Amino acid sequence: MSDIHTLSGAYVLDAIDDLERARFDQHLAECPVCSAEVAELTETVAALTEATAETPPIGLRSAVLSQVESTPQLRPEPSGASSSRQLLHWRRWLTAAAAVVALGGAGAVGYVIADHSGGGAGTRADAEAARIAAVFMAPDARTQTMATGAGRVTVVTAESLDEAVATLTDLPSPGANQAYQLWLIRDRTPRSVAILAAGRTDATKLIGGVRGAQALGVSREPAGGSAAPSLPLVAQLALG
Amino acid sequence: MAARGAVTSELKPGSQRAAPTGIDALLTRVAAGDRDAFAELYDAVAPRVYGLVRRVLRDPALAEEVAQEAMVEAWRTAARFDPSRGSAAGWIFTIAHRRAVDRVRAEQAAADRERRAATSSVPFDDVVEEVTARLEQQAVRRCLRTLTQLQREAILLAYYGGLTYREVADQLGTALPTVKTRMRDGLIRLRDCLGVSWG
Repeated sequence: MSDIHTLSGAYVLDAIDDLERARFDQHLAECPVCSAEVAELTETVAALTEATAETPPIGLRSAVLSQVESTPQLRPEPSGASSSRQLLHWRRWLTAAAAVVALGGAGAVGYVIADHSGGGAGTRADAEAARIAAVFMAPDARTQTMATGAGRVTVVTAESLDEAVATLTDLPSPGANQAYQLWLIRDRTPRSVAILAAGRTDATKLIGGVRGAQALGVSREPAGGSAAPSLPLVAQLALG
Repeated sequence: MAARGAVTSELKPGSQRAAPTGIDALLTRVAAGDRDAFAELYDAVAPRVYGLVRRVLRDPALAEEVAQEAMVEAWRTAARFDPSRGSAAGWIFTIAHRRAVDRVRAEQAAADRERRAATSSVPFDDVVEEVTARLEQQAVRRCLRTLTQLQREAILLAYYGGLTYREVADQLGTALPTVKTRMRDGLIRLRDCLGVSWG
């Protein structure tokens, strides 16, 4: 068992940061013994919750049930979409990583690759997936997260690779004919790095040329994006 | 791989609480879009979800909000639940705990910008004491007592205080690798004492 294995306790207690979690998830995918231990320790921790059970506020039940009425469900993870073992490997661990980094955004990175299942290895999306993975695994990778409403923006920056991965999860709807746009801010000058499709509230974007940038900004713009960000920004994360 | 093990509520010897059995079965129906099953699932797990989240967040209004988010998340992602990785109940509590911890850390990050130098305002000893006192469940309480003080403190500070193991190490004045190890061997001891099996 490798040294990372000793993280299993901290892992099930959520006592690690997002980046360590992504790495440990990757380790779990390759270590059945560790997965079994994590399953048992998760159950152990679950047993603690019975001791702190408490009657929820009266309004919670109706609030939850009413929100569920208008909340669509995610489909099961696409499986067997690709015959490429390597591709499957990346997808599995990136999905795990994204789920952790973006909490609930498991689909985002998965789709980067699943969209592409017809193409086989060596294609552009494949290469992008590998680069995203490289950012996550870079020794100098740093994670910044910011909550936005019920959602969040997370950026993992690998200065050594001059690349970053931004993940947007469950952002509030941008509004009719509006879209989210991502900006790298250097010396107070924003540079557009990605424009999401109108209405889109989840995304994973690989961003190049991040070295020396001070911040990543997210703005709400008319569909198709703008030349300069509308203020105030929806989110701004320091990269330096 | 591991086959389905005992439901959480059946783990402890001597539990007096009526077991919310069938949580796994309910979640399977929820994954198929069954809203009635979801209402049943809510009734089965909400007290533990809310109690856990409130313990971590302390503020009842915030806890209500996060508990709601967690339950809706369970609905939304039910089809992605992987039974080989644990019970349905454990999965839901993991969602809830993670959301609560995320919220604590986001608020801390905001607060830290203003008063980074100030010593922690959270009474950590109180967290451990309060939680230990609140653990009325005989089996859990008895088993927690079999841990060393360091194991117990490390686990409870992390789980209910929302601290990372680095922060726990700081708070307890203990080396990082030691804290990491104590969390793991403490939970293993707890697992063995509670008779948790999986597979």
